[in-house]
Amino acid sequence: MDLLNKYKETWSKQIEMPYKFSTQEIYKMAHAKSSSIVKWIFVIGILEFIFMNSLYFFMDMEEAYKQYEELGLQSFVFYSQIVAYAILIYFLVQFYQNYVKISSVASTRLLMKKILQTRKTVRNYVFFNLSYLALTMIVVTIASININIEDLSNKQILLVVFLMLIATLIILGLFWLFYQLLYGILLKKLNRNYKELAKLESEM
Amino acid sequence: MQKDLEAEFLSDFEKNQNIAHKICRMYTTDKEAHNDLFQEITIQLWKNYSKFRGDAKFSTWMYRVALNTAISLYRKSTKSIKTDHFSDVAFRISSTEYDDTEEKQLEALYKAIHQLNDIDKALIFLYLEDKNFHEIAETLGISNVNARVKMNRAKEKLKSILNP
Repeated sequence: MDLLNKYKETWSKQIEMPYKFSTQEIYKMAHAKSSSIVKWIFVIGILEFIFMNSLYFFMDMEEAYKQYEELGLQSFVFYSQIVAYAILIYFLVQFYQNYVKISSVASTRLLMKKILQTRKTVRNYVFFNLSYLALTMIVVTIASININIEDLSNKQILLVVFLMLIATLIILGLFWLFYQLLYGILLKKLNRNYKELAKLESEM
Repeated sequence: MQKDLEAEFLSDFEKNQNIAHKICRMYTTDKEAHNDLFQEITIQLWKNYSKFRGDAKFSTWMYRVALNTAISLYRKSTKSIKTDHFSDVAFRISSTEYDDTEEKQLEALYKAIHQLNDIDKALIFLYLEDKNFHEIAETLGISNVNARVKMNRAKEKLKSILNP
């Protein structure tokens, strides 16, 4: 007989298991708090949305607006913020919809796909926010150069552009690192398992 | 209404808890992690129980939720320490009920299964539980053909671990 068949037979004899929980214990467990990865992703995602939007509270907005006015950027700031809020709502709706669609009754592959999609929504939102930040920095730099163009030498202009680029790269780099770390740790197992199943589908 | 549902769930689950224990024993290596995973499976089952309308067998439905929890949802808590949880005699109801040779064989089997990856564990589990390919493919969300290919590979891997 095949080696595995022999084991299979033994396996089927595992009717009485060495472990058993009472109904009382099961009841308690059913009402305990879940610590599943989905919950982590949801909580961290919400925190990221809050964090990204609370950045404005740390800035002196009145002062910032005054500066924007001096640079003649009021309408740019006004319209771009309307767009930014519309996009925020879009991402929040997407995030919520993806989250709701996560079902542990789905097939393994679908479940993993949905979890990864939910996380990607947040990642895309953060990237959108960072691009918005970078765009604002570029626009402000260009506007500042424009206004002071007569007082600045070519060398100074180059220096300003160079510093702005460095600052943008550092900020983006830090966020990227943070992301790699946070989600790398959190999703290591999930990514590995998803790849294992997905690999199989693409092989055929 | 809620109370009825709860009572029904508890009775259904209590009868089928072996399934969850087997999965826990495959996916964890110590008692603490075993109980941790078992608890998460219980939470997931209860959370989805109202949507389970009895159009499938409870056990079939449970395979899916329990495997999904082990593969995708459960995060090993960092506090658990790796020990061989089968030497844990206190965990057993009584050792006299067991045929020693069978338990030894099972122990060897679980030990070999521990060396497989999460997906292969699921495949082997469904094979040992005598599920057909259609059900296996549906549970994992892959095609029938792929389920067959993957199963053969998983079985080969397991065989080579059991009989090097």
